[in-house]
Amino acid sequence: MTLTDVGLLSQPVLAGLAFIAALAVNDSRRSAIAGTLNALLGLATAATGVGALLGEPGSLTFATGIPGIAHLGQLALAPDRLGGIFLVVVGVVGALSAWFGVGYAHGATATRAAWAAYPIFLWGMSIVPAAGDAVTFLLGWELMALGSTVLLHSEHATRPQVRSAVLWYAAMTHLSFVLLLAGFAVLIASANGTTWEALAASPPTGVSASLAFVLLAGGFATKAGLVPVHVWLPRAHPEAPSHVSAAMSAAMVKLGIYGLLLVTLRLLPDGPRWWAIGLLVLGGVSAVYGILEASVTSDLKRLLAFSTTENLGLMVTGLAVAMMLRSTGQRAVADVALVAVVLLVISHAAFKTVLFLGAGSILHATGERDLDRLGGLARRMPRTAFATSIGALAAAALPISSGFVAEWVLLQSLVHGDTRGPTADRVIAIALPITVAVVALTAGLALLTFVKVVGIAFLARGRSPEATNAHENPASMTVPMWVGAGLVLGLGLVPGWVAMVAAAAVGASGIEPAGLAGVALPSVNALLDPVSLVLMSLAVAVPIAVITVRAARKAPRRTVDLPWGCGGVRVDPTMQYTATSYAEPLVRIFDDALRPTRDLDVTHTVESDYLVREVAYRQRMVDQVERGLYEPVIRLLWRIGDQARRLQDGSVHRYLGFSFAALVVVLLVVTW
Amino acid sequence: MTESLFAQTVATATGLLMLTAVLQVWRRSTDASTRLLAVQGAALALLVGAIGLAEGHAELVAVAVVVFALKGVLLPWVLARTIARSGIHREDSSAVNPVSGLLAAAGLATLAYAVSRPLVALDAGPAAHAVPAGLTLVLVGFLVLLTRHRAVSQVIGFLVIDNGIATVAFLTAGGVPLVVELGVLLDVVLVVLILRILSARLELAHGELDLHDLRELHD
Repeated sequence: MTLTDVGLLSQPVLAGLAFIAALAVNDSRRSAIAGTLNALLGLATAATGVGALLGEPGSLTFATGIPGIAHLGQLALAPDRLGGIFLVVVGVVGALSAWFGVGYAHGATATRAAWAAYPIFLWGMSIVPAAGDAVTFLLGWELMALGSTVLLHSEHATRPQVRSAVLWYAAMTHLSFVLLLAGFAVLIASANGTTWEALAASPPTGVSASLAFVLLAGGFATKAGLVPVHVWLPRAHPEAPSHVSAAMSAAMVKLGIYGLLLVTLRLLPDGPRWWAIGLLVLGGVSAVYGILEASVTSDLKRLLAFSTTENLGLMVTGLAVAMMLRSTGQRAVADVALVAVVLLVISHAAFKTVLFLGAGSILHATGERDLDRLGGLARRMPRTAFATSIGALAAAALPISSGFVAEWVLLQSLVHGDTRGPTADRVIAIALPITVAVVALTAGLALLTFVKVVGIAFLARGRSPEATNAHENPASMTVPMWVGAGLVLGLGLVPGWVAMVAAAAVGASGIEPAGLAGVALPSVNALLDPVSLVLMSLAVAVPIAVITVRAARKAPRRTVDLPWGCGGVRVDPTMQYTATSYAEPLVRIFDDALRPTRDLDVTHTVESDYLVREVAYRQRMVDQVERGLYEPVIRLLWRIGDQARRLQDGSVHRYLGFSFAALVVVLLVVTW
Repeated sequence: MTESLFAQTVATATGLLMLTAVLQVWRRSTDASTRLLAVQGAALALLVGAIGLAEGHAELVAVAVVVFALKGVLLPWVLARTIARSGIHREDSSAVNPVSGLLAAAGLATLAYAVSRPLVALDAGPAAHAVPAGLTLVLVGFLVLLTRHRAVSQVIGFLVIDNGIATVAFLTAGGVPLVVELGVLLDVVLVVLILRILSARLELAHGELDLHDLRELHD
């Protein structure tokens, strides 16, 4: 038995144990026992992925049907290297989230239903990348949707927004499933069987290939939260319990990328040019729109959800660029872009886990996720603050973090794509520079966004009593964050071997280790060695810092009062920047795209209209895509629903009449 | 049993089935409807018995006895008791008048004959010629369900449909397997008992047995 076999076999066993434990154990110990079993399930998934990445064959098949009566076929789990990467991602994220859940889950988030749904969710997520055929894939996809919907529903009793979020999520996840079902049906129609090998062996051609591609890409884009089908993300992620948000955002949406990679690399590898252009537009718009919304929102978890849309957009952009370059024969650069996609997946999984767990830790300690009411948490919750800051570093793609490495590789592929030489054509000559601009704008806005997160939440002074009275959470919650932060730094400092694994997973060549565990891209003549860079930077920075400090010691210390304290109060929390005011310049610049609604209430003193007693400022952001695209559709559905109500008026005779009329019509048609 | 006697028995039984079904549409008195149902049950039993004797199946004859006991005696008796207890002897809230009801029944009978032509063509025997009668019963039973409002009339319409299904089954397949037929009969008995309880409850709650009162239940 190989490692893959052992992993595949232990997953259903552990999932079953976790499910039973969730139902059987009483309230006081349920989180500890079920959480631990789920963490083990995550580790088993990760081990399966490692086995698959090492190239160890392994498979698990279930015969389906009714024994002795009907045989419906086999469900097969047989992960390849690409699936292996995603298995590791799902497993590690699932394990960290479950571990965090041990300390975090309480009350409504630790009920029997919630903990019983978790292994279903996790096992469903691990079936998807391991599936060897379309039917198993779709089965895993639905298990994942089912488990996550139940988990999202946990806090419905206390917060009415949860119910609306569940409805949006359920509708969008069904849309995704229907599109996938239709897409795979088109593929299966032209193939002999449902396994990936059979589908890849005889792909459809012409219009049916494009139909299959559009359906599948639409389904996967919905799960990946790309604009304009991202609407469920900013609702579901904030309302889910934080450890579930982490698993959804860091692992589940990635399976949309897995699906896109599966389709473009394996099932329909040689598509027409416009497929790549379509994906490029989808990815680029998602990246910019996602980070723009993230930069102006002050709800921490909503911000992280929009940042997910941005990162998934970058991944799809990378994939589209790779497809485009491949179709013009620039395989070496295309390979670099593909490796960038996988690195972005791994990096985003690591840092988004840390950030969502950090948000959960803050929420647990303060009951707040509105940045405008946080502040000063670095002193009250130092361990959470440190881990979250490292996550923010990666989200802003700054050096020594995993995000930097991933975006660096992506930019290498973009700037080294041949736009003028013999292999280039007009589309690439236009698309690549625009994409560079999009990635640059995205990176800039991401920097602003995460400076806001760290600066407003952790620095300065508390803006509410909840923030000033916060306490650090126990080790069961901080340690998973630290592990995640360690992964972020590890991937950022020693990216060499991860890049090699990523290259092997997508069948790319031209990636080599370099220097102290750095990464070299000989095909584009680029080299990144973060450890050496850090040592060099330290060699420059430390002497400067030492000299500066020594020089400062010599001068006498002066106390300067802030001019706007008017000599009275030295510093008051209300004088600080808030998240809203920090983002105000951005809101002004992108006013036409964001269209915020603002309310300004000025209350004057009773004595004089010239003296202001109080100013209240409220700013509300409504997703413009949602307003423009979804609201008309929803209104139409309401109208149709109201019309349909006339058919169903509660009269038994009317219902009988329907079936009688149907019977007579059928008989008449038959007689004809 | 000789060939001609068999043919005449089948013809008489199917004729009775058709006649009782059409009369169900015409008559307004629930007492009369119950008596018609008893006659219909007896006709069905006669049909089953004739087929059993002609083909020499002993268990079909047994089924005929059970059918007579249930559909000819037990169910009409239960209905008659319900009617006596509720004191409602007339169906005065029918949606169509007797003449249009009869016309509709004639139309449905025509449709049934038109539809079952291919079935009749399969077999030249007298049994096959009676298949349209069974279909007519199903359609007319549906019509009764649709046009009557009293709970008791609903039960009667339902039983007419069931008689139609049984007729077609016996005529085309030479009788469904004994176990299945007995199971179906048991189901029908249970349904009628449940409906009887339901109608009693309905009467307690609303003081009347009109299905229009159930309209309030819709969401």
